[in-house]
Amino acid sequence: MTAAAHPGGAAPVAARAPFLWGFRLIPRVETYPKVVSFAQTTIGKLTLLGIFGIGLMYAPQHAPFLIVLLAVATALPQYRRIVLTFGTLLWAIGTWWRWTNHPLLLQFAIVLILASLLFWAATRFPHSWFGRRPVTSLLTGFTLSILLASYLPRGAYLRTASWELLTVTGAYIWFIAYSLLDSRSNSRDPLALQLGTYRPFWGSSNTPFVKGAAYLRRIEAHNPEQLAVAQLKGLKLLAWSVILDLFLREVFQPVVYGDLGIPVFSHLFELNVQRASFPWYIAWASLIANFLGGLASLSISGHRVVASCRMAGFLALRNTYRPLESRSIAEFWNRYYYYFKELLVDCFFYPTFMRYFKGYRRLRLFAATFAAACFGNAFYHFFRDLDYIERYGFWRALEGFQAYLFYTVVLALGIGISQLRERRDAATGWIRGRLVPALCVSGFFCLLSVFDFTEKRYAIEDCFRFLAHLFNLTS
Amino acid sequence: MERKAEIREFVRELLARKGDTEPFADDASLILSGRLQSVEAVEVAVFLEEKFGVDFAKLGFDEEMIDTVDAISTLVQDSVKMP
Repeated sequence: MTAAAHPGGAAPVAARAPFLWGFRLIPRVETYPKVVSFAQTTIGKLTLLGIFGIGLMYAPQHAPFLIVLLAVATALPQYRRIVLTFGTLLWAIGTWWRWTNHPLLLQFAIVLILASLLFWAATRFPHSWFGRRPVTSLLTGFTLSILLASYLPRGAYLRTASWELLTVTGAYIWFIAYSLLDSRSNSRDPLALQLGTYRPFWGSSNTPFVKGAAYLRRIEAHNPEQLAVAQLKGLKLLAWSVILDLFLREVFQPVVYGDLGIPVFSHLFELNVQRASFPWYIAWASLIANFLGGLASLSISGHRVVASCRMAGFLALRNTYRPLESRSIAEFWNRYYYYFKELLVDCFFYPTFMRYFKGYRRLRLFAATFAAACFGNAFYHFFRDLDYIERYGFWRALEGFQAYLFYTVVLALGIGISQLRERRDAATGWIRGRLVPALCVSGFFCLLSVFDFTEKRYAIEDCFRFLAHLFNLTS
Repeated sequence: MERKAEIREFVRELLARKGDTEPFADDASLILSGRLQSVEAVEVAVFLEEKFGVDFAKLGFDEEMIDTVDAISTLVQDSVKMP
């Protein structure tokens, strides 16, 4: 990803031809000295928080709680990390208290104790097997626990208790992994501050937004000017999220699914599974609409989370940054879902690259890419949806995962080849250098999304049938 | 050539290859700021392995270790001192 944001406030982006004579829908207010100075005053901070609060109310989930914490973090910048830990723990208690049938607070407490023990062990015994491979040990232990739990007799109390604990563990596993990675650092944060990065109060999926404590240390605003720049950029990103959301809901969806009558992809895929017939061009239209809508949705949710993080005083990079401009598969993957890519890079790519095939440059890069984009990606998604494993058993759930496994293999191959090709000289000119590669890359990911089923699982034959239908190869 | 100058020159070439010709200070973040990506980070790692004999398998790898020219220089210095 070329820099979407930069802790220093500058944007060291590679030279890019001005588009529409440099017109910007949202001006770069963070570069206006008067605005930055105003944002450092008490009235300026209140104004920023007020406008941000109004923006948050557009999608009002937890907005009042969030704005109060952001206000406290703004007022007490020297205690920002403590506010983060306090707010995150409060948020977590609220979440697990309201969990579906009954509270899972005890399980949450057990997970925090386990995470603390692992962090302590990794820092206390850095040269032990566990200390040298803390993330591998964590993921292996998690996998074995799930495997064992899936064999416990149905209806037994032990099974229910185990799966409840595993559900909470699964929600925090990648956050704990980041803590364990930070345990090697000489400047690591103490455990109390590490806990503030476990599903921080600004929002997160199972993918840590925004990475772990090491990253927060690097991007934290260290003076009033940096805080003002971070908050102005946060406000801009929230505005962009609202604009995109309005566009998606008020323009894109009504036009595509209403006026043009293009079927929703999930419905069309169900028809495909039931062997219903529909024209190939409808399949293309539905697939492309789903792909573009998915990109917009991911941008909206990611922008909102990163905007809140910036408002708290951490100048994090955007999660999604102009993916359709990507000129290579590797670049698209980097721009599409940055924090997920970073998770796979930190937990799978680097460890593989640094340990194996040292004498073989290309093989080394390829193996590390496969470890991340294929194995790590599949591992993350398989263990993210624990209810599948609980319901169908470990091996049947794995069998039902074959379409996504295929997706990860093709993705890893694409990224691996793309990385090796990037070393050659790229074509120049706007059409050959930008448009054609961007269309090819987007086309690759759009087609591959036929296999990108992680929540609802289909047989791989159904995915191939849909793919064949796109090229009018089925009746 | 002085060690730090060699590192700076390598980073400059790496950035230039991406079309990023903006100047950078020795303490400026390169990876965590987004200027260099994971593929470039491993190029830095390979450069350090080959040029200065840094063994990341032994040291463990963290982006923070190679995030700035200063950090890389310190890493090389420490690594040379290690038995």
